[in-house]
Amino acid sequence: MSESQEEMAVRQLPLGIRLKDGNTFDNYLAASNAQAVACLQAALQDPAMIYLWGGEGTGKTHLLQAACHAAAAKGRPCAYLPLACWQELDAAMLEGLENTSLVCLDDIASVAGRTGWETALFHLYNRLRDAGATLLATGPAPPAALPLALPDLRSRLAWGMVFQLHPLRDEEKLAGLQQRARARGLELPEAVGRYLLQHCPRDMGSLLAILERLDRASLAARRRLTIPFVKIVLGARPRKAARHK
Amino acid sequence: MESALWRKCLDHLESELSAQQFNTWIRPLQAIEDNGTLRLLAPNRFVMEKVNERFFQHIAEITSRYKTCEDFRVCLEIGSNDAASPGGKNVGEYAPPRDASAPLATRASNVQAGVRNRFDTSFTRRSDRTDVQHVRNLCPDFTFETFVEGKSNQLAKAASVQVGENPGGAYNPLFIYGGVGLGKTHLMHAIGNLIVQRDPRARVVYIHSERFVGDMVKAFQHNAINEFKRYYRSVDSLLIDDIQFFAHKERSQEEFFHTFNTLLEGQSQVIMTCDRYPKEVGGLEERLKSRFGWGLTVSIDPPELETRVAILMSKAAQTQVDLPEDVAFFIAQRIRSNIRELEGTLRRVVANARFTGRPINLDLARDALKDLIALQDKLVTIDNIQKTVADYCKIRISDLKSKRRSRSVARPRQLAMALAKELTNHSLPEIGEAFGGRDHTTVLHACRKIKELRETDSRIKEDYANLLRMLTT
Repeated sequence: MSESQEEMAVRQLPLGIRLKDGNTFDNYLAASNAQAVACLQAALQDPAMIYLWGGEGTGKTHLLQAACHAAAAKGRPCAYLPLACWQELDAAMLEGLENTSLVCLDDIASVAGRTGWETALFHLYNRLRDAGATLLATGPAPPAALPLALPDLRSRLAWGMVFQLHPLRDEEKLAGLQQRARARGLELPEAVGRYLLQHCPRDMGSLLAILERLDRASLAARRRLTIPFVKIVLGARPRKAARHK
Repeated sequence: MESALWRKCLDHLESELSAQQFNTWIRPLQAIEDNGTLRLLAPNRFVMEKVNERFFQHIAEITSRYKTCEDFRVCLEIGSNDAASPGGKNVGEYAPPRDASAPLATRASNVQAGVRNRFDTSFTRRSDRTDVQHVRNLCPDFTFETFVEGKSNQLAKAASVQVGENPGGAYNPLFIYGGVGLGKTHLMHAIGNLIVQRDPRARVVYIHSERFVGDMVKAFQHNAINEFKRYYRSVDSLLIDDIQFFAHKERSQEEFFHTFNTLLEGQSQVIMTCDRYPKEVGGLEERLKSRFGWGLTVSIDPPELETRVAILMSKAAQTQVDLPEDVAFFIAQRIRSNIRELEGTLRRVVANARFTGRPINLDLARDALKDLIALQDKLVTIDNIQKTVADYCKIRISDLKSKRRSRSVARPRQLAMALAKELTNHSLPEIGEAFGGRDHTTVLHACRKIKELRETDSRIKEDYANLLRMLTT
């Protein structure tokens, strides 16, 4: 291999080799949330308004993006709005969304109390309903407990179907982690999975972020996932590294 | 028809961008490929500008790799491909305005995008015709037959029927006010439907205040204010919803004031709804407030229990759902705020029954309510768990964190640790830390011990269940 070829191979490594691991219905571990998932999937056929609430790591973002993925696979336009990033967004981007078949509002509580946003969301709701489009929204609490300033918006969120997403139990988390690892072409032995569950924050978001880190590390070091290896990777945080020096 | 070229482009972008970026900015784009041009349609200006700024150059690069002819072009516009939107949705009078934006082609090599403002409002839709054509926007399901009457809305309904039978008569304007989700809009549509039923040629227009304001702003921008005025001043009945949205919009109030006067002078009917009594709406001109009270002002109050039950039974019958009366009572007793929430709960119960294949009963209703009401909105923290367990076992919180290992303290500590693992997402080392700096293996041991005891010791089983209930309800 010539030097330039080698250079190219190295440069391409981080992008080319990783398997696609997007958020889909297939890789969502439904467990006790199976009914919510079934209703979401049905909403892609028959227009509906669905509100999902639950704590962190219950898969709210995952499900919304999975719905977008499924709609796009059918060639339907859709829109996903991460309202937690409202500072980078603008209520003006809600205009015209009634021309898409699916609108997903992730974490509606982020804009609660911001009257401009709330009013715009209220009107979007009405337009989507008139147009027969599907609206999926998420938040940390049921509509009645959201700190919304506009009662009109609250009552509309409660008008559709409201589901609480339940967190996974540890056994289910383990199975979920192994499933996601497999999808990435990575083998996560049960013992390693249990180690993660005993030493790391146990919400799925954090665990998946750790899995992502382990995946990269195992790829870079060309090592399989073992407890000693995981300890090295997770222990290599700046705080602990500094102590060694 | 899906563009194969765009599909390839999407594959590239999906692997390169974060899921959030891809879903937020790329997914809403619709693509039309024809004659060597890929037209990307953004739903609005904001999305178009962001895409142009952050991704368009890259999109142009990717597409140029797959281009089908030499002078292949990509352009970015505001608009939507009607065929691709859900079913065209132009169902009778419901037709919402469509985007009519002028495309602005952009060469892939010369990245820039522009757009002409969309201008298609309810009153310009058919402005090419000589006669002003009015779009009714009436919902056929909202009739007096489907309106459930009770003490809370009797007067409002009686007045509405009167107006429906004799528009432009004694009760003009009719002002209906009340909280959200109590049926104001339903009554308003019911009046409109009755008027049209009695006189199919009646020019009845229903519009939400916000839409009125939006249309007016666009009319000003496009020098079409005269068409706007002509449209609204030539109706027989104007139904205008949620007029509290006129607050602090002086220009719209001014225009509405004149429309209002013209209609009343011509004995056309005006019906308004609002979330409060006219005099209490802030940011509204005095002259408007006083005029709103010229006709009849009626209120709708939250429905009482019997009405709520009747509403549930009626909604269930409309959707051919067999709803036992005890379930209707159960829901109605707990959902008091408004009718939308009642409907939402019913929908949820029905979904639950369909999914599980079980008949509708109290258990199913309980499940649905759990999701709708914040039964578990109390934030479960380790502190909270320690306090609850300490109270329950009649020991001190400091005992839970102490080094003492006597049974009377160790067992509650183990219970609290197991609950912390069950109810929070804290890592085991964090939980150990919160209990006097214990090791995570101690937490693990506690969890195993409690699990084992719950199976063998009925008292522990009961304690655990009680604590779980106290913490989560």
